[in-house]
Amino acid sequence: MALRAVRSLASLSNPIRTYSTSGPLVNVSINEKTGIATATLQRPPVNSLNLELLTELCSTLEQLEKNKSRGLILTSSSNTVFSAGLDIYEMYKPNMDRYKQFWTTLQQTWINLYGSSYPTVAVVNGHAPAGGCLLALSCEYRIMLNNFTIGLNETKLGMIAPTWFAASMRNAIGTRQTELALITGNLFTTDEALKIGLVDEVAQSKDEALEKAGKFFDKFKRIPPHARTMTKTLLRGADIQALVKTRNEEMNKLTAFINDPKLQEAIGMYLESLKQKQNK
Amino acid sequence: MALRTARNLAYCLNSIRNYSTNGPLVNVTVNEKSGFATVTLQNPPVNSMNLELLTEISHTLQQLEKNKCRGLILTSASNKVFSAGIDIFELHKPNSDRISQTWSFVQEIWIRLYGSAYPTVAVINGHATAGGCLLTLASEYRIMLNKFTIGLNETQVGLTPPTWLIDAMKNTIGGKQTEFALTAGTLFETEEALKIGLVDEVAQSKHDAIEKAEKFLNKFKRIPPHARSITKAKLRGANIQAV
Repeated sequence: MALRAVRSLASLSNPIRTYSTSGPLVNVSINEKTGIATATLQRPPVNSLNLELLTELCSTLEQLEKNKSRGLILTSSSNTVFSAGLDIYEMYKPNMDRYKQFWTTLQQTWINLYGSSYPTVAVVNGHAPAGGCLLALSCEYRIMLNNFTIGLNETKLGMIAPTWFAASMRNAIGTRQTELALITGNLFTTDEALKIGLVDEVAQSKDEALEKAGKFFDKFKRIPPHARTMTKTLLRGADIQALVKTRNEEMNKLTAFINDPKLQEAIGMYLESLKQKQNK
Repeated sequence: MALRTARNLAYCLNSIRNYSTNGPLVNVTVNEKSGFATVTLQNPPVNSMNLELLTEISHTLQQLEKNKCRGLILTSASNKVFSAGIDIFELHKPNSDRISQTWSFVQEIWIRLYGSAYPTVAVINGHATAGGCLLTLASEYRIMLNKFTIGLNETQVGLTPPTWLIDAMKNTIGGKQTEFALTAGTLFETEEALKIGLVDEVAQSKHDAIEKAEKFLNKFKRIPPHARSITKAKLRGANIQAV
């Protein structure tokens, strides 16, 4: 008891400074002692990734890069959902200019996160399907709380995960497991995810997860940052270049595809079924 | 007991229709209810992949594509050997027309099977060496019976597998295991194959394996087929292009 009180007191004197560029949808706080930033997604109800959220996240990542952050913890303010993935409203009867911005920002967010020079940990404190899983996979390390699910379930919704989504998963669990996961659109439970290496550790609470995240960052205390960064680039560079080279082509294909009447009908029906679920 | 008899009867009555293009060396039956096709290699004694068997396999795969097959189970009529691979007689003092035809068919079968739009399961109910292992690696899922062996043992006879096959093995069990396996031409026993991920499940009997195979194929019941097949094509496309 006494020890905990002392620790709390100590943390009060470790000024946690909030970024002035903290937006409403992404809260950023920096532990001035450790230099580690925590970015908390806070777009109720399920942190669905719309243009506004992605824009804030993307610019947060750029700021952290510019300010030579010592590390990033990515987590959620909800205690049931990490992120439900891409906001389906961005894909339903979209304004084409907005849609292009949306997809460009998504691509850039991934490039910034997957390719960050600073170490990254996802504290997955809720369900993480599709785009939520992508964000978690883009980090170097994943700590997940019990009794949630995570996975790239795009095929279940009749959608196709882009190549760079698959690359992020392959980087974590290997080629064979990625193929099996993607064609079945599987959502893994926390335990299953740990077993196949989709997440690296399981925690009983968010506090415990944050502690474990701290231990991960400690590994880099004695490692010259530029050597660490260059090594990460050597390993991840090809995946990033693959997107950088094809991002315009991908954009063109998607803008052509998104207005397909059958796809729009399917999305409309899905939204309708969600509304009915909510009204129950 | 009574329940099983009733179930068997029901299964038979779920019209198991034989394809009229059945050749002697490859038996094809399609379960009309599920749309799953079972393709059984039957080239005694060891299903060696000679030109005749390869020709029939290739035609079968073409037909399945045309008829929009919902899923394929690939297995063997023998209870000792899945397939011993390319017939050694085709490789020894070969007639140059025959050998190039043989190789052409192997490549075509790989492209059709590895790149199939429909889901595929290999029920490995016997030894699967070299070309036999190739057929299993082309499938999406592998279920093997106990006490058999599987592997690419080309190096044992002074040959080397083609690059695209090596890549497929790497994609299944990883670079390190592939290097170990191929340099020594290792044939893995069932338990070890499961351990390194060369096969996905072990079954106690062919019946058990077929049930497990259908369970895998049924996973896709609610998944829009085009989303599934395009996703698979994106993942496997580079390999196919290389061939």
